[in-house]
Parts: sequence; C-alpha cells; structure tokens
Amino acid sequence: SSGGAYPNIPLSSPLPGVPKPVFATVDGQEKFETKVTTLDNGLRVASQNKFGQFCTVGILINSGSRYEAKYLSGIAHFLEKLAFSSTARFDSKDEILLTLEKHGGICDCQTSRDTTMYAVSADSKGLDTVVGLLADVVLQPRLTDEEVEMTRMTVQFELEDLNLRPDPEPLLTEMIHEAAYRENTVGLHRFCPTENIAKINREVLHSYLRNYYTPDRMVLAGVGVEHEHLVDCARKYLLGIQPAWGSAEAVDIDRSVAQYTGGIAKRERDMSNVSLGPTPIPELTHIMVGLESCSFLEEDFIPFAVLNMMMGGGGSFSAGGPGKGMFSRLYLNVLNRHHWMYNATSYHHSYEDTGLLCIHASADPRQVREMVEIITKEFILMSGTVDAVELERAKTQLTSMLMMNLESRPVIFEDVGRQVLATRSRKLPHELCTLIRNVKPEDVKRVASKMLRGKPAVAALGDLTDLPTYEHIQTALSSKDGRLPRTYRLFR
Amino acid sequence: QAATQVVLNVPETRVTCLESGLRVASEDSGLSTCTVGLWIDAGSRYENEKNNGTAHFLEHMAFKGTKKRSQLDLELEIENMGAHLNAYTSREQTVYYAKAFSKDLPRAVEILADIIQNSTLGEAEIERERGVILREMQEVETNLQEVVFDYLHATAYQNTALGRTILGPTENIKSISRKDLVDYITTHYKGPRIVLAAAGGVSHDELLDLAKFHFGDSLCTHKGEIPALPPCKFTGSEIRVRDDKMPLAHLAIAVEAVGWAHPDTICLMVANTLIGNWDRSFGGGMNLSSKLAQLTCHGNLCHSFQSFNTSYTDTGLWGLYMVCEPSTVADMLHVVQKEWMRLCTSVTESEVARARNLLKTNMLLQLDGSTPICEDIGRQMLCYNRRIPIPELEARIDAVNAETIREVCTKYIYNRSPAIAAVGPIEQLPDFKQICSNMCWLRD
Repeated sequence: SSGGAYPNIPLSSPLPGVPKPVFATVDGQEKFETKVTTLDNGLRVASQNKFGQFCTVGILINSGSRYEAKYLSGIAHFLEKLAFSSTARFDSKDEILLTLEKHGGICDCQTSRDTTMYAVSADSKGLDTVVGLLADVVLQPRLTDEEVEMTRMTVQFELEDLNLRPDPEPLLTEMIHEAAYRENTVGLHRFCPTENIAKINREVLHSYLRNYYTPDRMVLAGVGVEHEHLVDCARKYLLGIQPAWGSAEAVDIDRSVAQYTGGIAKRERDMSNVSLGPTPIPELTHIMVGLESCSFLEEDFIPFAVLNMMMGGGGSFSAGGPGKGMFSRLYLNVLNRHHWMYNATSYHHSYEDTGLLCIHASADPRQVREMVEIITKEFILMSGTVDAVELERAKTQLTSMLMMNLESRPVIFEDVGRQVLATRSRKLPHELCTLIRNVKPEDVKRVASKMLRGKPAVAALGDLTDLPTYEHIQTALSSKDGRLPRTYRLFR
Repeated sequence: QAATQVVLNVPETRVTCLESGLRVASEDSGLSTCTVGLWIDAGSRYENEKNNGTAHFLEHMAFKGTKKRSQLDLELEIENMGAHLNAYTSREQTVYYAKAFSKDLPRAVEILADIIQNSTLGEAEIERERGVILREMQEVETNLQEVVFDYLHATAYQNTALGRTILGPTENIKSISRKDLVDYITTHYKGPRIVLAAAGGVSHDELLDLAKFHFGDSLCTHKGEIPALPPCKFTGSEIRVRDDKMPLAHLAIAVEAVGWAHPDTICLMVANTLIGNWDRSFGGGMNLSSKLAQLTCHGNLCHSFQSFNTSYTDTGLWGLYMVCEPSTVADMLHVVQKEWMRLCTSVTESEVARARNLLKTNMLLQLDGSTPICEDIGRQMLCYNRRIPIPELEARIDAVNAETIREVCTKYIYNRSPAIAAVGPIEQLPDFKQICSNMCWLRD
C-alpha cells in the first residue's frame, strides 16, 4: 500500500529500530524537599523534585469568592472559565493549546472559595515556555467581548447542570457555607448568581484583578523541576511586568476575617423525579449539619482531621471492597443500623481563618426528623469516649490517604502551592504523619467538646415538610444525648 | 539510523515468568505506598447464556471470606492497615488489586493470594450477594451511558459472548450456584492466564519471592486445557428504545475495529483522538483541536459527545457516543457521519499531527501514581505479553500520518455497516438504511 511507511507489526512484538531505553533507578525512598524563594516583588517561588519526564507548574493566587464582598458575586467563577483565553502574546485559546501540545502539555484552572489555581502539566523540557505562557495567561489576558460573552453561556450551562445533577453534594456545600458564614468571606457564593451573569464585564473584572492579582498574593509552584531553573524563569517572566489592568496600586483589599454566624439555609425542591432516564431514583431529602472547627493553621486542625476520618461514612450502597471506611462511626452507628438511610458522610472544610466539620445525610422525606436526630446524636457522641482501636484505625487511614494522594504529581503541586501561599513554607508529608501519629484520644474529645459549644449551621434540600426547626436542632446539639425536643401535635 | 539509546527518567518494568506460568511484572519508584494486583485473562466473554454473570458474581464473592479469614477478619485487617481492596470485571478481564503502604506489600500479596485461591464461597454469602448484585444492576440502569453501551454490544455482537452484559440477566443472578463459581475458577484461574503486577514502592525481587511462596504450584494443579477464545462476530444492526418522556436522547454508533495488538490499533486511536470529545460546560473554545466539537458547538447540536475505541482480543468497536436534544438528533448524526467520511477522504496533515501529540500526552500524563501505572502494567501484560517501552509507543504514534489515517479509516469505516444503540426521544433518528448510506461520501 502507499501508506507503506506504517509498520505492520503487532503491538505484542517490539518495533525494530527504536532506540534502546536506559531507565532510571531509585536509590532508596524518594527525597522530599520543598524549596522556597521570594522575588523582589513579593512573589514566592516554590518547588519540589519528583521522578518522571513530566512536571506540573502553576500560579496560585489568594483570590476567590471570599474576596467578592465589595464586588459583583461571581467574578472568580468568571475568571476560572476565562482562564487560558487570548492574551497579549497569544491570539486565541487555540494558540495556547497548540503551544502546550508541542510540549505534551495540558492546562487547567480551578477556583475555590479562597484560592485560584492556574496549572499546566507538560514535559519538563518545556519549562521556560510553560512559565512564560502562565505569566501571560495570569497577567495579560485580553478578556475580549467575545470571550466574556462565551463565558456567560458556559457559566449559565454550569448553573443548569448543578441543579440537574442527581448528586446534591456541591449544592449542599454551597448552602451550608451560606448558612455558617452569613454574608461574609467563605459564606459568599462560589457560583455566579444568575442575575449577575449579564452584569460582569471586562471593566468589573479589571477593577477586581487590580486589587487581587498582585505579586505578593501569588505563588509560582512547580513539581518535577529544578528549583534554580524555576526561579530563573520566574525572574524572566514575572518580575517587573506591567499587567493588562495597569500598574496602579491595589487600593481596596478585603482583609476581613471569617465571621462564623451559624444558621440555616433551606431549599424546597421537588426531588421526586431527578432521574434522567427510565429507571427512577428514589425521592430523597438531603440535610447537612455542621459546626465550626478550626483553621488549618491551628494545631487542632490535625485532631479535627482525625475526627473527620473517624466519622467517615459514605453511601449506603457504594462500590468497592474493604478500605472505604467500613468501620467508621457513620457506617457502624448509622448506615448499618438504619437501612432506610441512603447516605451519611462526614466532611471537613478548612480555611486560613476558620473551618467547618459537617455531616451530610439523606433519606425518604417522611423520615427527615428521625434522620436529623440520628445525626445530632452522632455529634454529641463525638465528645464522648474514643476507643483506642478506632482512633488508631482513623490515624492510619488518614496517613495512608495523605500518602496515597501524594503519589500524584498534580496533588503534590496543589499541596506545595497552597501551603506556601498560606504559610510561606511547607510542612512535609513525613512531618504531617508525625503530627497525626501524636493525636491522643483526649485531643479528639477536647476539639469535639469545644466545637459543640458553637451554634450549628444547617442546609436542607428537597421536600422539607418534616424538617425540625433550627431552634430544635440547636437544642439537640446542646443537650446531653442529642435528642430533638418532643413536639406534640394534636392533628396528625 | 537515529540514536541507539535514549535516557528516560522513569524506572524499568521488570518481568519474570514463574514455573506455574504466572507472570510477575513490577515498576519500583520508591514511594512509601504501592498498588499490587492480579490481572486475570477471564471475563464475561468466557461465559455462555446459562452462566452469564458468573465472572462478575465471583468478583463479588472474593471479599466474603476464605478458609483462613472470615469476611469480618478480612475487612478489619484491610481497614486497620489503611489499605484498600478492590476488584472489577470487564468482558475480557478480571482484576483484584490492593493499595497499601509499601511496608505492607507482603501482607497485601498474601491476602490477594488467599482470596483467589481459598475463597469459601459459602452458600449463605452467595444468597446474600444476589441481592447486592441486583441492586448494583439498578444502579447501572440509572447510568444511561452504561445502558447505551450494553445495548451497543448486544446489537453489534448479537448471539455471541461479547453481546452479553457483564452482570448477566436477572434470572442468572438469581440462579448462579456455588458449582458455577467453582467451575469458573478451575477452568479459568490458571497460572499462564494470570499476571501479578505492582507499582509504587515495590522491589521486584521481594515480589518474586512472595509470588513463589504464596502462589506456589496451586495455580497449575487445575487440570484441563485453556479454553479457546469464543469467536464473536460483528453484525451491523441497531437497537432503538424510544422513550419520549426522557429529556435527552442518548446514542452510540460504531463500526467494527481491531483487537488490542493489531498493527492498525494505534492508527485508530489517533483517529479517535482526532474526533475527540466535548461537553457543553467546556465552553465554546475548549477542545478546539476537534473539528466536530466546533461544528456541534456552533450548531448547538448536542450536550456532549465522546469518541471511543473499545478493544477486545480480536475485535473492537470504534465510534461515538452522544447526548442530544430530541430536535437535533438527525442533524447531529449527519454532522458526525460527514466528519467520519472526511477522515477517510480528506483529513489534513496538521490535524493528524495535533491528534498524535494529544494522544501521546493523554497516554503519558495518565501514568501518574501507583494505581494507574499498575493498571497499565497489568493490562499490557495481558494484551501484549510485555510492557511497551515509552519510546516505542511514541515511535508507533509518530509513524501515523494523514495518508495512513485515510487508508486505515477507509478500511474500517467507509461503506461499513455500523451498529447503533439509541435510547430516549429518538423519533428523529433516520432509518437504518439511510444511516448506512451516509457511510459513503455524498456531496451536499
């Protein structure tokens, strides 16, 4: 055939004429060392070495929905969707992608309540190009009318999908933050409200960027790179650069500390037909109950993380074998005993100035009251006796989860970047493992008792006819046994 | 001739074959955690109408206790180690694997050996597991993509083993007996069909000693020949499940492609990358490397699409899965088929170059962490009986150009009768003859 250059050799046989690979060898355990350098403009450069031909490099910024109090809510959401669009040097997103593809690279932007992260994974040989591209993407976006218009559509689709999704977790998380930090910092909406979609434009974005996209609020982090090389690239592309929004001084930075208020966020919704196909999904009501924990900068953060692991839980029907926390309390005390419950899962959200430990549960709408009481009882039990075996298990599982997550390069990148952004240094994995190992039963008891003295935050979604009042949930959580006050109704 | 050596910053995959035929393959990256597992050349393809679902049922029974450990002992042991135990069954493979601290590698191998050689398969546990599998079946049925792919296999490989589902029909799940399970093990779980693979912090020599000790010769004591691969013929055909109450139409269309190791498989993978995938939350721009994404996005023709290339030993399905509004089904399918015809006749060198780069990127970036690497080792050992070195994989991809794409795509797509599965409000879907006639180049 004329396409004859193509080798007609099955994949089970080696292709002749291919250069012989010379492999690397490990000598002992991989060394973890994070190096940090601060440039003259305040931007921090952090790096971590790692095996492999690829690197993950990116810029993390102290920016997100928590800083939007004086702005239109939704700016950070827009910026996430606009990331890697045209810049001063690149005429289109397509040009950016093509440049990256030449180095076997992909890009991604993610924004959370407090951090925005622009990241690229590519062949380590392309480091210079990658850092130059990242600098341009972050500091010189064109934000053309056409791109903003496209983004409006994307944001709209995302909001629709959020409401269509059978998995209510993202929506409940948004709601419980709204309830816990009423109208401030991490309680502000992470997703752009529909009414703001049309209002956000280039001018609005620039006024925000001028205040928050400043070098002192940024970290350039790299995994699988040489530190000196990364610092050289940072000097070349991120020092003395005039951003697209001009170099006027940042004037209006929100430095508010999170104010935990507690409270309730309810959304009545018909969940009787959330299935997208012919097979019905049972109608469920979802609740999330939370209490303020602590910031990830405090020492109590580690006992809280252990407590969260000890509570564990998950879906009443979930795939996979042993190892998913089958002996955690929400399985043993809740899902294994109350087969009518569909889900009971513990989550721990933490920020630089606050944290939230919460439990998500779901069941048939007629059993909401019973379900809430089961959860409030579990909260009260947190400050009770901690069994030595269950604590050991939770600590081992937290350590293994940490180390297994850190097998992956993008996860290491995020860990390095976030820690250096928050504290200017990084606690290394083995240091964290030691801290976890040192947690005692009385530490867990102490943090749980402290947490229970606060006001609850509650989110509820679905048919809420039988939802107990906020006051009753609060009473249950400040009682000895977690029981809801009894209600007498004549006509039932 | 180019350079005769190339230096890589990745560890070597070491492979050793034991006397029992068991192959041991591992890659040591010195991490403090690891993944180790058994990849077995057996899945639902080796079942018949009567026992369809046995391989999957067996996977469920693996964690239900052995002669040495009760189910509770096993669960407690794994959870207290901070380890994970997992298993899955596909049409051609059954996999059991563990993730653990590297220091616990010996225990992880011992547990894996125990569960596949000494499972109790207790009658009470079998009865209980029927309910669990039936519930899993309900879960699968709420996932429309899985439903459509099962229909696609049912029509494409009608009356053959690949046409059946992995879970098996309800009546089989209710009737599979202990004997069926034991027969399946003794027929299929044999040394030469099993790979012990590991990645992360694992020493090959230690793994080898563990394998010799725990698998000994029990894997070659099962008598009888290794059964021949049941032939599975592809039939161009369709299944339509119309339901106008559903909001969106879910469709898959595919032609017959090639098996894992076939020389044309790399070329079809490049073609598959070139067609690409898209989701409306990507926004207008993302995935500009896919012309189909641009066309569907501008015409607002679908919510999402995904090109696929599913391979089996001696056959495969190359096609596209899409989710559309009822009113755009016909236009979407038209655009898809036109794009396929363009692949066969006039695809350009620059598009192919881009798809080559993307394919390499996707394949290489995926190898991050011990579990994806271990999966890659296990799967490649079963499919190719070796792990293809990265430079060779790159050389094979680089050898694909626009001419090879046109030639290979013409061979497998042009004027071929496709298999189609469609679920939902699909009134607009053209009749089968019409769809077949659009598998040829028509000017419009």
